[in-house]
Amino acid sequence: MAVQAAAKPASRDARRHNSQMYDAMRRLAQNKTAVLGFIIILIMILLAVFADVLFNYEQTVIKQNYAEMCQGPSLAYPFGTDELGRDILARVIHGTRVSLSIGFAATIMASFLGGAIGAVSGFYGRRVDMIISRVMDMLMAIPGTLLAIAIVAALETSMRNLILALTISSIPKFARITRGAVMTVKDCEHIEAARAIGARNGTIIIHHVLPNCLAPILVELTISVSFAILTISGLSFLGLGVQAPRPEWGAMLASSRTYIRDYSYMTFFPGLAIMLTILAFNLLGDGLRDALDPRLK
Amino acid sequence: MSDQKRHGSLALDIQGLVVEFHTLDGVVHAVNGLDLSIEQGTTLGLVGETGAGKTTTALSVLRLLAQPAGRIRAGSIRLDGEDLLAKSEQEMGKIRGKQVSMIFQDPMTSLNPVMTVERQIAEVIAHHTRLPERQAVEQARQMLETVGIPGERGSEYPHQFSGGMKQRVVIAMALACSPQLLIADEPTTALDVTIQAQVLEMMKQLRQTYQMSMLMITHDLGIVAETCDRVAVIYAGRIVEYGTLEDIFEHTLHPYTRGLFDSLPNLEDRTARLKPIPGLMPDPANLPEGCAFCTRCAYATDQCAQHRPERFYRTQEHYAECHRCRQICFEKGGSAVWE
Amino acid sequence: MLKYILKRLISLLPVIIGATLIVYLILNMAQGDPARIILGENATPEAIAQLREEMGLNDPVLVRYGRYMLNLVHGDMGTSYRTNAPVSDEIFARLPYTLWLAAASIIICILLALPLGTIAAIKQNSFLDGLCMVLSLLGVSMPSFWLGLLLILLFSLTLGWLPPFGADEWKSVILPAFALAVSSMASVARTTRASMLEVIRQDYIRTARSKGISQGRVIRRHALRNAMIPTMTSIGIQVGFLLSGSVLVETVFSWPGIGRLMITSIQQRDIPTVLGCIIIFAIFFSIVNLIVDLLYGFIDPRMKSQYA
Repeated sequence: MAVQAAAKPASRDARRHNSQMYDAMRRLAQNKTAVLGFIIILIMILLAVFADVLFNYEQTVIKQNYAEMCQGPSLAYPFGTDELGRDILARVIHGTRVSLSIGFAATIMASFLGGAIGAVSGFYGRRVDMIISRVMDMLMAIPGTLLAIAIVAALETSMRNLILALTISSIPKFARITRGAVMTVKDCEHIEAARAIGARNGTIIIHHVLPNCLAPILVELTISVSFAILTISGLSFLGLGVQAPRPEWGAMLASSRTYIRDYSYMTFFPGLAIMLTILAFNLLGDGLRDALDPRLK
Repeated sequence: MSDQKRHGSLALDIQGLVVEFHTLDGVVHAVNGLDLSIEQGTTLGLVGETGAGKTTTALSVLRLLAQPAGRIRAGSIRLDGEDLLAKSEQEMGKIRGKQVSMIFQDPMTSLNPVMTVERQIAEVIAHHTRLPERQAVEQARQMLETVGIPGERGSEYPHQFSGGMKQRVVIAMALACSPQLLIADEPTTALDVTIQAQVLEMMKQLRQTYQMSMLMITHDLGIVAETCDRVAVIYAGRIVEYGTLEDIFEHTLHPYTRGLFDSLPNLEDRTARLKPIPGLMPDPANLPEGCAFCTRCAYATDQCAQHRPERFYRTQEHYAECHRCRQICFEKGGSAVWE
Repeated sequence: MLKYILKRLISLLPVIIGATLIVYLILNMAQGDPARIILGENATPEAIAQLREEMGLNDPVLVRYGRYMLNLVHGDMGTSYRTNAPVSDEIFARLPYTLWLAAASIIICILLALPLGTIAAIKQNSFLDGLCMVLSLLGVSMPSFWLGLLLILLFSLTLGWLPPFGADEWKSVILPAFALAVSSMASVARTTRASMLEVIRQDYIRTARSKGISQGRVIRRHALRNAMIPTMTSIGIQVGFLLSGSVLVETVFSWPGIGRLMITSIQQRDIPTVLGCIIIFAIFFSIVNLIVDLLYGFIDPRMKSQYA
């Protein structure tokens, strides 16, 4: 009853929105775990944006301070300090900025490129589709992380190359999803109607086809961001990703390995940060999937 | 009245059955005080629209309601005099497939796609007879022959059979342990018309051979006329009219039953328009206070909306739950109430 | 059946060729002249030019790729820049360790994920189900290398039960295999639960119940095999993640497998070895996917019609 009452004033807005999307978002808002995931992500984004306000990058995050090295968690340093005397909390928070920015940048680029490739492939079909699909199959035959490793191994390690590597390894999934979605939507009546009134292919793809395959792409976006963040930390852990002294969770874990016997707290917090981030995106992704496809419930 | 006396000759006796489904959106009242009985060796047709509670009633007999949502709230179900609701799950395991069998609506989905059909039939035989696997498979092949499928096809998988063949397999499976009662839930709805006739004819013959009682669930009055001895019309989880085949077809009492006949095409008068029943069945989560049919009934009065009708007996057996047919029947003196 | 396997193997060939070509092209962009890496910083330009000619480095990249693949078919993966030994020797010395680790992980993954997912589905919305789902969510979210470090901390450094690194005794495989298995396990358990929930709602499960068979037997005989079909797909995907993950886990546990070889080779810019490692991974991954495809046929008779 309460739910119905709450939904009523908003329902006027609903008519303006794509009502299917509106329904999905309302279902999402009712899913407690998805909302939890969303809140965690929101907090992380805020931490990333305001990291400089909380901790000065030059003074606290990267400046070595041997007087304070290897201190366990305390009031002054809730997460302790690392082997160079830097505040781990400050580094974890600034690490959010690194991980999220690379993760989002790579995912957004991959979704645009992959989406475009998939849309072209699905829409034009035949030979174009065959060639693109084969190339995507080949890319998919290399596990994503390995592909990323190969790319950063060949190029020098820099933020730009890291984003490039993650983008390329995420493209096939977006291409495949968009292609599938486009192929199912393509033959629907409203597309035929649009074609009948003389709409051009490009117009049809952008105005009619893409909005209809938004749902699976949205789900893939959350999965892809979490894959990217996990891969960044993995690459950095291997020394192939973000380089010192820039704070990155995986790199922090790598340097903590030496001290695991005596200063195990160093190993704990960066890993927790990775897990929490991935968890949040998983929760949101699961919620999105359920909300967008209620049949799966 | 004569309940005690009649028990002995009844294959199935359901009294005051109430079934609810507890869902996130509230309680759905699927069956609301349903009475039903089948005499030994006869066929009862249970007729009604989709969602009237037909399948729920059938599954209640087997105690196979979807768990944990479905609950039997009240009533009794007696099979050959024995109270099924008092049985343990283990005891039910000896009854299902042995004393009561069920044929489900859609043969396409009611067979396990990854198991050969003979093993699916042999499973029920082995379970109830403790025969070794090989002999059970042998018997399963014989059952296939009985329903008109070459025995050697038993080693094939369901997807290699046509719809009608699959339903024959389902029937073979249901009859494999010669049950006393067969529940057929719209056994031909999913089949082509020509196949429907074949399957129905076969079921009629097998019922005779095996001396079974049968509950034929359907929405097709043609099938009722073909196969049933007595008919119960179900609406919103209650029997609204019950009688012999002749009672129902010749002396229709309830406006709903009348409506069912009117929505059939009339072969004698091709120009006659179909008269579909207006509206939809009430939401079982939110049933009206009075007669459940009153919102769609052309004869409804204020009384119908407020009070649940009592039974009006036209003969000792034939009854309808309707305020109006009592009045009209008295006025017109019996037959052909709604002419 | 044999014909079908052959057909699938042949259709796999272009994918493997394409995948290796992509890897070859990517690594071809690698910084640094191989001849200079081999000869060292003090080599004369003439010596470098001569070596480039000998190595065929002046040929177009596709020609070099073709030559590489021809050699690969004969088991020759080139020569390591660092050790001057054949790459294949090193890879085949390390391969058993990686296979052993991967096999142990997959076994742990399947043995735990299937029962957990099934129980969670049968007891849907119970406490047990909730616990399984929370644990699997945490498992999916936990990076394998962090889990590896935590396992070392607990089982090696604190409790002293298991060795923290190396592959000297059979017990050594337990921690890395577990660290590698957890996220796949969690993922497979979730798929199993979802497909199980889907299957136990099917009509044929009700049919089986109407025969009088007990719930447990219906699950074992009817539901599991049907639920395995989507679960198989999930396991196939997870093998890919396992391979990627093995690179990280082998580093954490100093496990002498191909993943570790690849990372040290990258650090030493030993491109032929890196190339060999990734190509072995890609071929292995493709073969696993083929096996998964073939297993569908065993589980699902509807797929068998394709064999003809």
